[in-house]
Amino acid sequence: MIRVEKLQKAYPAKKGSPPVQAVDNISFNVSQGELMGLLGSNGAGKTTTIKMLCGLIKPDFGSIYIDGLDLLKQRTPALSNISAVLEGNRNIYWRLTAKENLEFFAGLRGLEPRGMEAEIDYFLELFGLTEKINVEARKLSRGMQQKLAIAVALISKSKVVLLDEPTLGLDVQASYEIRQLLKKIVQEQERTIILTTHDMNVVQDTCERAIIINDGRIVADDRIENLLKLFKVKIYKIIVQGSLTSAQKSRLVEIDAVQEMEKFPNETAINVLLEKSETLYDVIDILRADSSLIKSIDQEQNNFERVFLEILERG
Amino acid sequence: MREKLLLLRAFFKKEWIILKRYSVNSLGGILTMYVIFLMLFAGYKGVSNLAGIEGDTMEGLVVGYALWVFLLITYQDISFTLRIESQEGTLEQLYMSPHGIGWVMGAKVAASFLINLLIMAIILFITMLTSGVSLNLDFFSLLPVLVGTLFSSLAMGFLVGGLTLIFKRIDSYTQMIQFIWIAFISLPANQIFWMRLLPGSYGATLVRNITISNQNLIQIGLNQLLFLYIIGSTHLAIGYGIYKLCERKAMREGMLGHY
Ligand SMILES: Nc1ncnc2c1ncn2[C@@H]1O[C@H](COP(=O)(O)OP(=O)(O)OP(=O)(O)O)[C@@H](O)[C@H]1O
Ligand SMILES: [Mg+2]
Repeated sequence: MIRVEKLQKAYPAKKGSPPVQAVDNISFNVSQGELMGLLGSNGAGKTTTIKMLCGLIKPDFGSIYIDGLDLLKQRTPALSNISAVLEGNRNIYWRLTAKENLEFFAGLRGLEPRGMEAEIDYFLELFGLTEKINVEARKLSRGMQQKLAIAVALISKSKVVLLDEPTLGLDVQASYEIRQLLKKIVQEQERTIILTTHDMNVVQDTCERAIIINDGRIVADDRIENLLKLFKVKIYKIIVQGSLTSAQKSRLVEIDAVQEMEKFPNETAINVLLEKSETLYDVIDILRADSSLIKSIDQEQNNFERVFLEILERG
Repeated sequence: MREKLLLLRAFFKKEWIILKRYSVNSLGGILTMYVIFLMLFAGYKGVSNLAGIEGDTMEGLVVGYALWVFLLITYQDISFTLRIESQEGTLEQLYMSPHGIGWVMGAKVAASFLINLLIMAIILFITMLTSGVSLNLDFFSLLPVLVGTLFSSLAMGFLVGGLTLIFKRIDSYTQMIQFIWIAFISLPANQIFWMRLLPGSYGATLVRNITISNQNLIQIGLNQLLFLYIIGSTHLAIGYGIYKLCERKAMREGMLGHY
């Protein structure tokens, strides 16, 4: 349904800042009825990718096919297959009610008004907005506004729906509800959805597959359960009094799991990435051999940077 | 065709809803217009009493004012829409309409034109009733001329809108354009040919021919009307062309909409 080939985008240099290679040679496919997560930390290039898929940013190189149509060459027909909820945008008119928004955007997308009433009722019901049907969007809660924006994207009947950070800034409850709805929609309506997020939990909860991007490049494209293994990896930060001996250093470097050693004025930090806890004992043994004093061992939350590094290292 | 009408319908409905919902706001504009009409009417009386002329210049004044208002509304409609919607983050949705942004903006302008035309006709009618003065307006001749003149205003809207996409904050300059319109429509384009090529000038001349010289559409002739539309379309092509260039730059640099 979506085919992206060798997509590249660099933002030109501006006063005081060099050009930014926001998206660097990205290729992927998404098939019909798939809910795919695009995962990456801030500035990874998620929004840039989504906006290129919406025809709002022109790529420097590469091609985008939506349901077989070349977005760059057949913009209009290709666009009729896409709708989107963009990050940080209102996406809907605050001065119109829930119903009026749905009506207006249906018209904007060229849908026939016949049967629209029932369609609108269906989506309002689905998103739990029936009671708010005649409430202006600006008076809705943040979560409801976001739900309405998604409903507006869905009412266009487009085959592809792109959601940029759909749960960003929402409370736990609203975020949960939106995730449940997305799953339901994919199941019931065979829509193809890409959602971007920097939150592994969102992806884990909704998607079967995710692409992880970092610095504009794809670092992983895999099923969630495989990606989760990477996130399960434990990280320990060991703080040792004073510095390490050269014998300790060379032995530690031989252990794959040891990521980095940092020297501070009177202590040394060692980051260890562990899949098997036995490795930790090896590290401790090395430290004890020269009777270094271990000040603390803390388990740290795994984060993207480390996972990316890990993936990159594995090739 | 039907799709474009549906698009127009969607915008008409939206504009109408907002007009009604924010009626206090709208009422301010309506009252202002009413007062200005009254003043124009009164001014005419004063002037005519002084000069002792029985004439038809009041129609000229009223229609001249109406023309200025429409030129302004149309121009602002495009440039304001592009600016505000890009700030608030709805412009992207307009851009994703399969109709294409040109038609979308066209429908938006057409919808507010229809609504404003209606409002103005009503206010004019009320002014006539309350002031006891009746104007002799040839709507059937005026309307095609008005529409043709508005092409130039549309062009200006796209031009300024395009610049807004790139420079974001150019409010102080856009305010100036209101007064430039007054200059354009009061130029003696009847006598000096090249002035006809400026936005609004030739349309204003034809309007004066209708209201002051009491010509109708047939007396004006198809050629002149055609010439008006050719000038308008040329302006529109230039304005829209520049807009598209700005849009291209904005799309390259990821500046379309807010960022
Ligand atoms: N219009 C622009 N002009 C210049 N640089 C930009 C522009 N938009 C984004 N960038 C830069 O491009 C890179 C990718 O940005 P992008 O917004 O695509 O990332 P993202 O993954 O969506 O991040 P976030 O999680 O913060 O939304 C960043 O370094 C960003 O600063
Ligand atoms: Mg983003």
